[in-house]
Amino acid sequence: MNKLWHVAWHEYRRHVFNRRFVLVSLLSVPLVMLMMVGLVYLIISLDINTTPLGYVDFSGLLADPVSAPAPEPPDRPVPILPFETEADARSALEAGQIQAYYVLPADYLSTGRLSVVHLGALKSPARIQFYNYLTANLLKSTDPVIANRLVKGAEIIVQSPDGSRSISSKNWFNVLVPMVAGIAFIIAMFSTGGYLMQAVVEEKENRTMEVVITSVSPNQFMAGKIIGDTSIGLTQIFLWMLFIVIPILVLRDTISFLRGIQITPQTLLLVIFVMFPAFVMVSGLMAAIGATVSEAREGQQMVGIISLPIWIPYMLTGALMSNPNSPLAIGLSLFPLTAPLTMLMRDGLTILPAWQVALSSGIQVFCAVGAIWLAGRAFRLGMLRYGKRLKWREVFARQRS
Amino acid sequence: MPAVDLSHITKSFGPVKAVDDVSFSIEKGELFGLLGPNGAGKTTCLRVMLDIFKPESGSVAILGGPMNESKKDRIGYMPEERGLYQDIPLDRCLAYLGSLKGLNPAEVKQRAAVYLERFDLAAVKTKKVKELSKGMQQKAQVIATLLHQPELLIVDEPFGGLDPLNTQMVMDLLREQHAQGVTIILCSHQMHQVEELCDRIVLIDHGKVMLYGALDDIRRQFSGHSVTVRTADKIPALEGVERIEPVNGTVKLHLSPGTAPQEVLRSLVAQNVNLEQFEISMPTLDEIFIRVVQGEGAAA
Repeated sequence: MNKLWHVAWHEYRRHVFNRRFVLVSLLSVPLVMLMMVGLVYLIISLDINTTPLGYVDFSGLLADPVSAPAPEPPDRPVPILPFETEADARSALEAGQIQAYYVLPADYLSTGRLSVVHLGALKSPARIQFYNYLTANLLKSTDPVIANRLVKGAEIIVQSPDGSRSISSKNWFNVLVPMVAGIAFIIAMFSTGGYLMQAVVEEKENRTMEVVITSVSPNQFMAGKIIGDTSIGLTQIFLWMLFIVIPILVLRDTISFLRGIQITPQTLLLVIFVMFPAFVMVSGLMAAIGATVSEAREGQQMVGIISLPIWIPYMLTGALMSNPNSPLAIGLSLFPLTAPLTMLMRDGLTILPAWQVALSSGIQVFCAVGAIWLAGRAFRLGMLRYGKRLKWREVFARQRS
Repeated sequence: MPAVDLSHITKSFGPVKAVDDVSFSIEKGELFGLLGPNGAGKTTCLRVMLDIFKPESGSVAILGGPMNESKKDRIGYMPEERGLYQDIPLDRCLAYLGSLKGLNPAEVKQRAAVYLERFDLAAVKTKKVKELSKGMQQKAQVIATLLHQPELLIVDEPFGGLDPLNTQMVMDLLREQHAQGVTIILCSHQMHQVEELCDRIVLIDHGKVMLYGALDDIRRQFSGHSVTVRTADKIPALEGVERIEPVNGTVKLHLSPGTAPQEVLRSLVAQNVNLEQFEISMPTLDEIFIRVVQGEGAAA
């Protein structure tokens, strides 16, 4: 086996088959997502009160009532109970048997006015269920298909003039899918870059550098490290995808919200042609930082120089959303460090012109190659600088190493 | 064909000339000493030899020609700055370093087992390197250097930080490797060990070769600066003698530059001193080193 693969495998094995990697790198994002989903469920659950609702109908609408369609999970059905008189309903309310009761006056069908009596706060899930119950009964003599359409309401689809892109009011969250994918990718990018930086500085810290470079060429060694650590990042992304896709596939029949989530081929192309070169570029830059410093801790302080521009598009979400084709958005799409997130954010909001995708991708590839060159040069110059930082002007200076 | 041949090597770091027109060659199977004070340019010489640094001028031939990737597998290098991967078990660390020297896993396992047993590390091979004592780590470093059975062994300050027991162990090991025909370059400023082990040396100071050749020839070249005399008589004042030093029942006469021992002998006889012993003192490598470094010796 080529020594390059020994280096790559050593790097991969050392990090991936490690308890810390499983706990911190692999499970962190799924756990955060799980916590976020759990939090949303908790907030929704706090609003859910399945104590029955009551009503007193003087209009006759609910004399022979039909049931409303069951609510979507996580909401749960609230029993709706009829009362003959307001006094009965009031007694039940005071006894805690119902959370509220509605009074439909005799002229309800002509005025649409009704009243509700409750002691504690009446949360919207219960209120919506009662309104759905009323709507179902108002439409019970209508053709069920039409009634169903009326209950479901209108779905407004905004479409591009050429029909290549559309977004539905019911699937609005698809706008955010590329952005979320971009953020996940960037988190993986930085954690991989972090491994790489640590890995490059490690041989200097533990003084194995001279032994290693008299066994394998600096280029093979560096390439092996980049392959090993990039593979760690891809493993991370792949497993995160599994953690995300599997629950979506399992729960999509239960939760209608998940059925609408789509990743378009264009998003996938952007990931391949913009995100992947950006991934390599950031890895190269992190490796270059690792090569110039003498301790990993020192390198961490320099990472901010790279990470700050990468997150700028996220900070400018409002401006990018309100005008995704502005000169600012285009500029950020072409600047190497801001391009990855900007392009994915804009992908959810507008049609990206082919020239912008091609130019941005070209710039990313060029910068990725440049970053690898820089890393290789910094590594060759800095590999034997024990306890002493390599100055950047030395990296760029013309001299024989 | 020499195992290593350096010809007119020059290497600078900024304004500092670390190595200045250095030439020497090392024969196959030789145990060769590369000496010099701290900062003399020894390690730079080794790094140029190993193609870690490119020289500004001059040429290097190692194992019969320029350095290449396949030759790296035939060389064992123990640098002065030593270390191992701390967060992995010792056997995995040796397996990795062995694999970088072209060994397959079975070879590493088999050879490492022998060395681990010999160096009394077999019981701790599954422990993380950072959990081992400093002495154990140094022994592990030696194993990593020898695991691939190199033809050329380059050891830079191998005795640094070692206790007497481990120093002896490393010396025995170098003798053993030498006996097996391995070419060894011992880079050190600890003259005593070099004197015990090496047949030929090169002494570098301020990047220049100050002495080069067989150790006996060099000692002979530097002999004559003192004579040892045993006599019951009092030594009179003698022309050409700078200092008289009693040493274990004898007297050491330190001669001034340009004074030949024979002139001193003639003076002693002329002054009727009854001599029991008259011997031209052979200087130790330590003495030669100090004299050369202090500017007494000429560049070779």
